Amino acid sequence: MADVPQIAASVASLQQHLEAHRYICSAQIATAVYLAYHLRKPVLIEGPPGVGKTELAKTTAEMFELPLIRLQCYEGLDEAKALYEWKYGKQLLYTQVLKQTLDEVLQGAKGFAESVKRLHEFGDIFFSAEFLEARPLLKALQEERGCVLLIDEVDKSDHEFESLLLEILSDYQVSIPEIGTVRARREPPLVFLTSNNTREISDALKRRCLHLYIPFPDIELEQRIINARVPSIPPQLRSQLVRFIHGLRDLDLKKVPSISETIDWARTLLLLHADRLDAELVSNTMNVILKFQEDIDNVQPELRSLTEQATKG
Amino acid sequence: MDQLLTQFIGALRNADIRISTAETLDALSTVELVGYSDRRLLKDSLSLVLPKTLDEKAAFDTCFDQFFSFGERLSRPPGASMDFDAALSGDAAGQAGNGQAGAGGDAQDQRTGNARPGAPRQQSNTAGTTERDAGAAALGGGEMSDPQSQLGQLLVRGNQMEITIAINAAGRQVNVHEIEVFTQKGVYTRRIMDAMGHVELQQEIARLTDSAAIPERRRAVDLTHRRDWLRERVRDYVEHQFLLHADVTGRRLREDLLRDVRLSALEQRHHRMLQDLVLRMARRLISEHSRRRKVFRRGQLHVPRTLRRNMKYDDAVFDLQWKSVKVDRPKVFAVCDVSGSVSAYARFMLMFLYSLDEVLPKVRSFAFSSDLGEVSELFARTSVDEAIAIALKQYGSGSTDYGQALADFRRLCLDEVDKRATVIILGDARNNYGDARTDVLKELYDRSKRVIWLNPEPRTMWNTGDSEMRHYSPYCHQVEECSTLAHLERIVGRLLRAVA
Repeated sequence: MADVPQIAASVASLQQHLEAHRYICSAQIATAVYLAYHLRKPVLIEGPPGVGKTELAKTTAEMFELPLIRLQCYEGLDEAKALYEWKYGKQLLYTQVLKQTLDEVLQGAKGFAESVKRLHEFGDIFFSAEFLEARPLLKALQEERGCVLLIDEVDKSDHEFESLLLEILSDYQVSIPEIGTVRARREPPLVFLTSNNTREISDALKRRCLHLYIPFPDIELEQRIINARVPSIPPQLRSQLVRFIHGLRDLDLKKVPSISETIDWARTLLLLHADRLDAELVSNTMNVILKFQEDIDNVQPELRSLTEQATKG
Repeated sequence: MDQLLTQFIGALRNADIRISTAETLDALSTVELVGYSDRRLLKDSLSLVLPKTLDEKAAFDTCFDQFFSFGERLSRPPGASMDFDAALSGDAAGQAGNGQAGAGGDAQDQRTGNARPGAPRQQSNTAGTTERDAGAAALGGGEMSDPQSQLGQLLVRGNQMEITIAINAAGRQVNVHEIEVFTQKGVYTRRIMDAMGHVELQQEIARLTDSAAIPERRRAVDLTHRRDWLRERVRDYVEHQFLLHADVTGRRLREDLLRDVRLSALEQRHHRMLQDLVLRMARRLISEHSRRRKVFRRGQLHVPRTLRRNMKYDDAVFDLQWKSVKVDRPKVFAVCDVSGSVSAYARFMLMFLYSLDEVLPKVRSFAFSSDLGEVSELFARTSVDEAIAIALKQYGSGSTDYGQALADFRRLCLDEVDKRATVIILGDARNNYGDARTDVLKELYDRSKRVIWLNPEPRTMWNTGDSEMRHYSPYCHQVEECSTLAHLERIVGRLLRAVA
C-alpha cells in the first residue's frame, strides 16, 4: 500500500513519484497535485489536446494506489447518468415477488385508508439505499479509502450539469431527496476536471477549483517525456525529433501535433530502425503526426528546411 | 489577516484579474501551507489558486514579479545599507584622495573597507553635489555633531529597515495608492518627503552649513548626501506604487472617457484601446446572455407530448412533460451606411456585432453608400479589422442614397426577413434630397420582428436639412441616437434581452 502522506509531503517528492510512474512533469503540475491533496480542492486542468491532462489524473491514482473513477462528459449528460438512479427493474421485480406478502399484510384491512396506513408502517423500503444505483459521482463519495475522481472533458457537458457539480466540488456531498444528504466517507476524493476549452467554464465552477493550465512542454521536458515513454530510442534521434515537432508547432496548422503524437512518432521511427531524421523519412511518416491532409500539404514545402533545422543543432 | 497577501490581491484586482473573497481565503490557506520562503513554490501555488484563465495567468506572472521584487528589496537591509554607506564613504575617500584626510576619514575608510569604490550610483551622487563638496573638501573628515531633527537622526542611524518603514508610513499618510497618472509622481515624491519631515531637515542643513563649528559643517555635508539618497529611495517607492496601483486606474480613467466620447472624434491612436474595450463589453454581454437559450415554463403541462411519451406505460401517466420555450438566437440584419460621415460609427457597430458571434451567430451585414452589397462573407473570411477596412473601401465612395440602398436590400433578402429577424439600420438618414423609398422600409417593418434605426447625429440635428428621419421613424420600432460606445452597448444589450 502506498504511503500517501509520505509521497505528498513535498512538491519535489510528488514530482519524483510521478516520474517513477513515467509521468514527467514540470514543478507547476506537481504543485497542483500537492495543493489538491493538502487543501482538498478539485483541480480544473486546461490545455491543448494531448498534453497529458487525463494522464495526470490516471497517474495520480496509480501513484497513490487509489481507485480511479472516471466520468466522461458529453452533451446531454444528466443526473441519472452521473449521480444516481433508482433501480426501476429491481423495484418492479420485488413488488411482483412480494405481492403475496403484500396481500398478507393487507389482509383484513378495512377500506383504503387502513391499507395505506399499514403500508406506511413498512417505510420507504423501495426507496432505500438497496435500490439506489450509484453512478460515478456518488460512487466516488462512497469509496471507503478515498479515490481519484476524473471528470473528463467537462466543457462538453451542458450548463445544467456544471451546476450539478457545484455541490459535490465544494462540500463533497450530494443531496438525494428520498434518502437525504450523502457525505463523503472518511477521505474525500481527489477530483480532477479536464477541459479542452471548447467553451468557457462558468465562473462558479472555476471559483471552486484550482486552475492548472498545461501548455506544450519545452524541448528539454519533452525529451525527458519521450525518454520515459520510449526508452529504447537513440538519444540523437530523440533530440532531433523533438526539435522537429517544436518547429512544427510554430507553424500555422489546423491541428498541431501533441505529446501523444510525438510519442507515437518516436515509436514509429523506432520500428523503422531509423537512427536519424531525413526529409524522406519524415515525409513518409508524416501521417503519424499530422492528422489533416490540409496540414500535410501545407507542411510539405517546408519539410526540408524544418528537417535541416532539427538535425543541425 | 495576512496584509502582504491582501495587498498583493489588491494589485492583482487592479490588473483586471477577478478574484472573489472565497479565492482570497483559498490563497490564505495556500500561503499557510507553502509559506513565503520559497519564491518559486509560492508563485506556482498562487498561480493555481488565483488566476483562472490563460490571460489572467499572464497578467498574474507580471504582477507577481513586480510585487515581490519590491518585497525582496525591502527585506534586504544589509546589502542596501552597505550600498548606502559606500555612497557616503565614496565621498569620504574622495576627500581623502585630496590629501586632506583626517583621522576620521581613515576610520570611515576602514569601516567600509569592503565597499566597491566607483559604482555608478556613488559617482552620480558625488557628481550631483560637487559644488557642496568643493566647500566641504576643505573641512576634511572628522568628528561630526549629532543631528537635531528627527529625520536627520533616522538617516544617520542608517538602519535600512527603519527607513523603509518610515517611507511606507509616509506613503500611507499621503495616500500614495491614489496616484493616477504618471505626472503625479513628482508631487507624491515631494509629499512623502514632506511627511517624513523634509522641511525640518532642510532647515537644519541650512543652519549647520552656516555654522562656524567645523563638525557641524561636516554634518551638513553628510546630511545633504543622506537626504539625496533618501529622495532617490522615495522616488523608487513611488514608482512602484504607481506600477501597482495607478497604471490600471489611469487606464480605467481613459477607458471611461472613451466610452462616452463621440466615436467620430476618436483619434487613430485610441483605436487599439477601443478595440479591447469593445471586446470586453462584448464579452460581458455574452456572459450575460449565453445562458438564456432554454426557458422552461414550469407548471404548464404539455398534454400531447405527455400522452405520447406515456404510451409505453400503457397510458398510465408516469412521465410528465412540461411546456418549454426554446429561445431562438436573434437573426440580425445590420445595414450600415459607410459613407464618409458615418463610417467611423459603422466600423464600431460591425466590430461589436461580430464580437458577439457566440450569442449572435446569425448576423448578416450589408454596407452601402449608394449601392448596397452584402459583406457577411468578408467577415467570415478575414479578421474583423480587415473586413471592415475592405468593406469601407469597396462601398464607401459615392454619395449616400438611402432609397437605392433600401431597394437593393429588398431585392437581396426580403424573403429572409421574417418574424424572427431584427433589422438594424445605421445611418444619418441624410439622403441628398433623393427619393426616400419609405414604402420599402414599411414593408420591412411589417415583416420583421423589429426595425431599429441608429442615428449617430444628436437628436437636435435630426430633421434638419436633407435628413429624412421624420419620414423613416414611423416605420421603425425603435429610433436611437448612437454616437458613443456606451450607447452602442446599451442598444445591443437591449437587442439581446428583447429576444430572450
